[in-house]
Amino acid sequence: MTLAAPDDRLTQMNSGNALELRGITKMFGALAAIADVTLTVRPGERRAVLGSNGAGKTTLFNCITGDFPATSGIIRFFGEDVTAFPPYERIRRGLRRTYQISSLFAGLTVMDNVYLACRGVSRNRYSLLRPRSDDALVHAAETLVEAVNLTAVRDQLVGELAYGQQRQLEIALALSGAPRFILFDEPAAGLSPTERRDLVTILTSLPSHIGYIIIEHDMDVALRVVESVTMMHNGRIFKEGLPSEIEDDPEVQELYLGGGHG
Amino acid sequence: MDKFAKTNPAWALVIALVVVAFLWLVLAPWPTELEAAIGRKRVFLNALLGGITLGALYFLVASGFTLIFGLLRIVNLAHGSLFLLGGYIGYEVTNYTGSWFLAFPIVFVAVGLVGLAMQRFIFAYMEGEELRQTLVSIGLSVVLADVMLWYWGGQSYTTLAPGFLRGPMELPLISSINTTSGEAIFIRYPSVRIWILIAAIVIGVAMWLVLNRTSLGMLIRAGVDDREMLAASGVRIQLVFLAVFVFGAGLAGMAGVVGGTFQSLSPGEDTRFLLASLVVVIVGGMGSIVGAAIGALVIGIAEQMGLVYAPTYSVVFTFLIMAAVLAFRPQGFLGAGR
Amino acid sequence: MAPARAPDRLWFERIPMAWWIVVAVLLTMPLFANNFWLFQVMGWSFILGTIAVSLTFLAGYGGMVSLLQMSIAGLAGYMVAILGPSGTTSISLGLAWWIVLPAAFLIAAVFATLCGALAVRTEGIYTIMITLAIAAAFFYFTRQNYTIFNGYSGFNLVLPPQLFGVNWRDPAPFYYLCLGCAALCYGAVVYITRSPFGLALQGVRDNPRRMAALGFNVTAHRVAAHALASVFASVGGILLVWQNAQIAPGTIGIPAAIDILVVAVIGGIRRPLGAFVGAFIYVILQVFSPDILGTFGFSAERFKLIIGLGFLAVVLFSPDGVLGLWDRWRARRARRVDPLTGAPR
Repeated sequence: MTLAAPDDRLTQMNSGNALELRGITKMFGALAAIADVTLTVRPGERRAVLGSNGAGKTTLFNCITGDFPATSGIIRFFGEDVTAFPPYERIRRGLRRTYQISSLFAGLTVMDNVYLACRGVSRNRYSLLRPRSDDALVHAAETLVEAVNLTAVRDQLVGELAYGQQRQLEIALALSGAPRFILFDEPAAGLSPTERRDLVTILTSLPSHIGYIIIEHDMDVALRVVESVTMMHNGRIFKEGLPSEIEDDPEVQELYLGGGHG
Repeated sequence: MDKFAKTNPAWALVIALVVVAFLWLVLAPWPTELEAAIGRKRVFLNALLGGITLGALYFLVASGFTLIFGLLRIVNLAHGSLFLLGGYIGYEVTNYTGSWFLAFPIVFVAVGLVGLAMQRFIFAYMEGEELRQTLVSIGLSVVLADVMLWYWGGQSYTTLAPGFLRGPMELPLISSINTTSGEAIFIRYPSVRIWILIAAIVIGVAMWLVLNRTSLGMLIRAGVDDREMLAASGVRIQLVFLAVFVFGAGLAGMAGVVGGTFQSLSPGEDTRFLLASLVVVIVGGMGSIVGAAIGALVIGIAEQMGLVYAPTYSVVFTFLIMAAVLAFRPQGFLGAGR
Repeated sequence: MAPARAPDRLWFERIPMAWWIVVAVLLTMPLFANNFWLFQVMGWSFILGTIAVSLTFLAGYGGMVSLLQMSIAGLAGYMVAILGPSGTTSISLGLAWWIVLPAAFLIAAVFATLCGALAVRTEGIYTIMITLAIAAAFFYFTRQNYTIFNGYSGFNLVLPPQLFGVNWRDPAPFYYLCLGCAALCYGAVVYITRSPFGLALQGVRDNPRRMAALGFNVTAHRVAAHALASVFASVGGILLVWQNAQIAPGTIGIPAAIDILVVAVIGGIRRPLGAFVGAFIYVILQVFSPDILGTFGFSAERFKLIIGLGFLAVVLFSPDGVLGLWDRWRARRARRVDPLTGAPR
């Protein structure tokens, strides 16, 4: 599981990359939140994006999903150019994401939230008929709720859930349908040590064909669930490598890991 | 301007041609073929001037509406009621004192006080709840409309302008050429409308200057851009809010006096001018004074031209303009993108 | 989505007693109520409630407060008058009811879809302004246009078809017609709430950005909601034109558009039942206020003042409307009982 060298990556273009970013730039006014980011991720590859606050990690996610379209650059998802697609078209092609600040439907129950997520990437989104209890999507939703340990609160309103439960629900939404690639935005933030262990279990037990990028400040979580690492600084990528290389890199140590980890 | 001409030479040419053609239509005497085709020039000029002066009135109403929305985020659907209330009070004051001019300051203060009560005792308690504020303003408009109907009845009132403003005045615009003597006949137009147009321009420019050249204006504009920052900076934002609301309400009231002189006041005029304000700010862009001026001019001219040249469908013109703006530029001509 | 888990009682046993009483009273009302009450009070309540429930659907579930619902209802009513028979024979085409009714629904839905597409270009508070402006434009257009809408005078003698040999404008048949339509619309709104489309609409209301990130086309859902709501509004509009036997621009004026909002808000805009509760209160006030106002020496016109003040009071003090007040009253009573029994309620 080594990273392909940059030259190799260029020749691999269009040939089976899960995600391919070329020269992605996002301007907010005159300020470049991310500048000229080029990145490729193979199917099933799991990668961490690290960097200090304001390095542009979440903005990068927003550009990939189309929440905020990139100012310039090209995004390919499994070979298809999705740069001009609205977010929902990208999601329907198997891209998923979670949000740093839980972004859920507070007025609906846990099951309804997950059911919506399953429905969003299937047909009959506009159906006016209530699903029957043997509906396949209801079953899919139930399975997902169980997978993230929320069965006990499945009929509670999301607004009433504890913080950790909301984070788990956030992950359940991202796992709905048939994801091919997931963007996790700080999934461990604010979780207790037990919940973090559960999270690592969920991430490592994902089917191997599902790749993901994870933004995470907790190195113990991040470096245990990925096989490659990309470092960002001031909106640019400045280093890519294996988790062990990044952990030992003196420059990275100094910039990000600080004394606490050194 | 230069930049636009350089980047869009074709459009710049089209715009320039339209402007030249328009100026020719306004300034030159019309050849008989043209008059045969689309009617007499006097009719055209009257419709144009009617549109511009109506636009001035719409601007007076809508500028307060857009200012209040821009800063306080309140869609005050009782704005038309303030207009009508100002008109009725202005009528009473003019009749009682015999002075038309005295009506303006009195109405400004009186309607401003109503606005003060609305903001201070109702809207201030539901800051940030946009929908609730709007619903409350709808309730207020229903109540005010009925109270006014109760007091002033269903008949229509017209406020008389003072004598020296009542007659027509001659404008330096050729209406037609006398075929026998060859003399140019100039257009004559009610002078009160011209003076009100001038007053509206003065008020508009003054508002623009206050907003763009004074520290109070800086405060208000900062509030439009970023309310949280302004509130956090320790400025007594509630006072600024109150002042803007009172000013906007007072302006609507004064516009009511103007409306009562231009046309007439009766139940239903409140809705009419509320709608005019809505369309003007949707077209011009919410929260922008210059946008309100452009929107008011466009809507005023479209309405009057429509009345003259296609009376059945004049409303449709106004609506089509609004629909086109919404479809292609939802934030309005000068609205901030959101 | 929760499928009912191991129901220990049959579905009809879970419906509270109060509902059975209401249903029984409504079904047997023609036996004890007079014609005025059946036709004017109850008939009109059901009609207003049906139009208002279309707003509840849009606003309560979709978060879009539209003032267009009366215009859409009016357009459907106008279409019935224009395509079907009316007293204005120079314009009305006099087509058969089975062409007229589907056409009326279809045209109203197309209009609602177009207006919805314009209104959802912007968000939140703009919707209310834009729909108000469109409603006004439509009102002025019907008043000025004589070739289609017959201008100021509109259409009269617009009568329901004599189906099954019943004169549907007789009080009792009309009462049952309105009751049936209102019940169907109410049931449909309640049912759709739990359907994929209804859930998605609530998702769009709560968090549009996340809905897009779940694969939903938010704009299309909003426009579809406008189209669907037009069906309920059209039902009300067609019943309204049959009840009055006429339609004119005044039917769809701005005051009428605002009345629909008032009705929905007074009852409680978050629940479909609120539309009908609000409509009943509105009609009772409208019908009986002249007498009461008269005894105190006021003109009957002050009814608007009462409605306006009532609406203000609801918005200021009980945003959930009358139903919200009722809930809170019950909750307080339940709390008073609780400590004594120790049991929930």
